[in-house]
Amino acid sequence: MIFPIVKIGNCLIATLTEDIGDADAMDLQESINTRIEATGASGVLVDISALQTIDSFLGRLLNEIATGARLLGAETVMAGMQPAVAMTLVELGLTLKGVRSALDAERGLTMLGQHLNGGGQ
Amino acid sequence: MNDTKATRDASLIENQRTTIAELETPVIEVWDGILALPIIGTVDTARAQTMTETLLEKIVSTKSEIVILDITGVPVVDTSVSRHLLETIAAARLLGAEVLLVGLTSRTAITLVHLGLDLTGVTTRTTMARGLQLAFGRLGLEVVKTRPVVTP
Repeated sequence: MIFPIVKIGNCLIATLTEDIGDADAMDLQESINTRIEATGASGVLVDISALQTIDSFLGRLLNEIATGARLLGAETVMAGMQPAVAMTLVELGLTLKGVRSALDAERGLTMLGQHLNGGGQ
Repeated sequence: MNDTKATRDASLIENQRTTIAELETPVIEVWDGILALPIIGTVDTARAQTMTETLLEKIVSTKSEIVILDITGVPVVDTSVSRHLLETIAAARLLGAEVLLVGLTSRTAITLVHLGLDLTGVTTRTTMARGLQLAFGRLGLEVVKTRPVVTP
C-alpha cells in the first residue's frame, strides 16, 4: 500500500488509513523520513483520525516517526486521535511524550505554523 | 416474601449505583473551547476509566482545547489517585487538549512532593478561578470590567 505524503508550504502531510498494517506503517515511516530529507520540510502532520484501534507496535512507531523527524529537523503533530486510541495508548504506557497532538488536521497545521513562525523569529 | 424484598433491595442499590456513576463525572463546558471536570471524592480504577472516557468523548464532540481538572473535592491525593489523574491527563493530551490541574492545596502539594510524584509538564493552579484565568489567556481571551463594581 502506498501512502501519499503531501507537501504544503514547509509542511508534510501524511494520512493513516484504518487498515494500516505493520509493514505499511514501516514503509510510511521510511517515506516520511526520506521526504523530510529531500524537501527540508520543518513540520510533519500525521492525520490519524481514521485510526480506530492501535497496538503497541503502531504506538511505538508513531513515537519513532516523531523522534526521527526531530532528528532531521522537523516537528511532528499527530492530529485527530480517537478517544479509544488515546485510552489504549495510555493503558500501554505509551504516552508519546515527545509528540505534539492536535484535535484535528486544521488545528495541527495552525500549531505547526505557529511553531515554525515562533522558531524563525 | 424475603426473596421479593431482597430483589427490591438489589434493584434499588443498582439504581443508586447508576445514579452515582452518572453524578460523579460531570464534564461541564464552561466556555467555548474550555471544559471543566470537577472531581468529588476518591478516584478508583473504575471511576478513573469512566471519567476519562466521558472526558475524551466530550473533548472530541466539543472540540475543546483546554480541560480544567478540579481536585478540590478529592480528600486525599495518594499515589494511586495521582496515577489515575496522570493517565487521564496523558489521554487528553494525546487528543490535542491541554489539561490544567486545579484545586491543589498546600497539603496536597506537600504530599505530592513527599511521594516523589513527577508532575512535570502538568500545569497546576490552586483554584478554579486561577485555572480559568489561565485558560482564557491560552485562548487569547480577556475578561474586562465594563462598569465600576458597587458594593452594597
